Amino acid sequence: MGHVQKRLASTAAKLASVSVSTLKQFPPKEAVVPKAPKTSPSKQPHFFHAETWASLQPPAPAALTAFAHRIGLASIIPSPDIIQQACTHPSILTLHEQFRPSETKPAVNGNLETLGNSLLGLFATEYVNSSYPHLPTRVMKAAVSAYVGPTTCANIAREMGASPLVRWHRLPNTPTRRALLHSDAIASVPRALTALVYQHRSLLSARKFAHKFFLSREVDLRNMIKFRDPKKALAETVAKYGRERPISRLLKETGRMSNSPVFIVGIYSGGDKLGEGFGSSLKMAEFRAAEDSLLRLYLTRTPPHLVQLPTSTFPDGFGDIFTAKGPEAEYVPGDMGDSEVLFASADRTGLRLPGARSRASEDESTVEL
Amino acid sequence: MPFRLPPPTRPLLRAQLRSRPANGHVAFIPQCRKLVFEFCNRWPSSANTRTFLTNHLEEFARANPHVEIVVKQRTQKEPIVRGFYLNDRDKVIALNGFEVTGIAKKVQLLLDSSGAKIKPLKRRTVESTTEAARGIWSGLHVEEPFKI
Repeated sequence: MGHVQKRLASTAAKLASVSVSTLKQFPPKEAVVPKAPKTSPSKQPHFFHAETWASLQPPAPAALTAFAHRIGLASIIPSPDIIQQACTHPSILTLHEQFRPSETKPAVNGNLETLGNSLLGLFATEYVNSSYPHLPTRVMKAAVSAYVGPTTCANIAREMGASPLVRWHRLPNTPTRRALLHSDAIASVPRALTALVYQHRSLLSARKFAHKFFLSREVDLRNMIKFRDPKKALAETVAKYGRERPISRLLKETGRMSNSPVFIVGIYSGGDKLGEGFGSSLKMAEFRAAEDSLLRLYLTRTPPHLVQLPTSTFPDGFGDIFTAKGPEAEYVPGDMGDSEVLFASADRTGLRLPGARSRASEDESTVEL
Repeated sequence: MPFRLPPPTRPLLRAQLRSRPANGHVAFIPQCRKLVFEFCNRWPSSANTRTFLTNHLEEFARANPHVEIVVKQRTQKEPIVRGFYLNDRDKVIALNGFEVTGIAKKVQLLLDSSGAKIKPLKRRTVESTTEAARGIWSGLHVEEPFKI
């Protein structure tokens, strides 16, 4: 398919789909150009914008019910009007005021989206934090964005098949507000659905929904961790843990004087190998070995059956968190270690002391300065 | 000369970070979203389609609640069924010439499909009068046979 056909298909996918069987009359009255009226003195020009008209029509109830069944929420959500509300973006109200000022306003998903966004942030953060206890904070924030951020929500909405159901209106860039695009409008749908699950069942059901659709997707954390000087960071991390200073050793090499050498360097702390790296020069191999050692620390992952989530302490019963009654699970928080090494930000004294918690655990009464 | 740190790596823009789909790992989203049946009320080529629509369509609809089913009249044309998928593609199958069971099979084919383009995986095999130079590979005669 050429790029023109692909562009046409993607533009068509963003248009609201209207089911002719739900309309009273097709083509609609507004679209038909009236015959020249004999008695009107001024000729009114005829305008009909099909896209705007289509945005104002509600989606077919059969399509909404099919959507609910497709994502497994048919038993939770009692009527298609609720799904319609979840698929209606607040920007449609501007069109409604302009073209249908006398009709009742449609129910929109603005509040549902906000609630769902908060819930998704909560579930993603606790999952990432519990699964990767040593992950640096900025990487954890990036991981949460990858799991439940705006791009992912838009992709999930497209994969669920919400694009023909969404009712929205494109808003241009203004000095006070960013432009509203198709991806912003459809991203509101999965967030609104999470909020609906919370409202109609419980927090733990909403968590199950989030784990099923958002947290089961693949995120590559290795690409999010970037180092400026991994050797220095590793030296400080090793000192923080009270181990011997890291020494790099050449393990294997080949083709030293050729145009494609390969060196394999391992970094050792005493007798323990912390990491291994390869490269076409000794420096490159050592850099990669230091990176590998730090990644082995930062990316340690709790096995899925041992992951403990703080939201498990909410009662496992029907209703919101204030009214639900049921058994509450135990939550044992992980041991707090020292905060991660911020080697690029030395304090004013230039000292490098081990962290407060590791000092306390060694029961030192005096601190060496 | 004061030591200068190497330039930092390209920053990550959090709004652009995304996850990759894993349909089927935990939740499975069926890919067919809509089936449209078009038939003629008069022509004999649509007779089997009409029988299918009156007798068997309801059980298909009940068994697949995630699919929206539309029945349209298209007079003086051959009967077709068109399936719409979540990748914005559609598949059209002409239903003239099939018996009712054949129509049911084609509808099931559309329901099971993902909408992706059919990619030819098998190419023409090499037919030669001479035997292979290095012998035909056998999975049982390797150093480490595959263990499940």
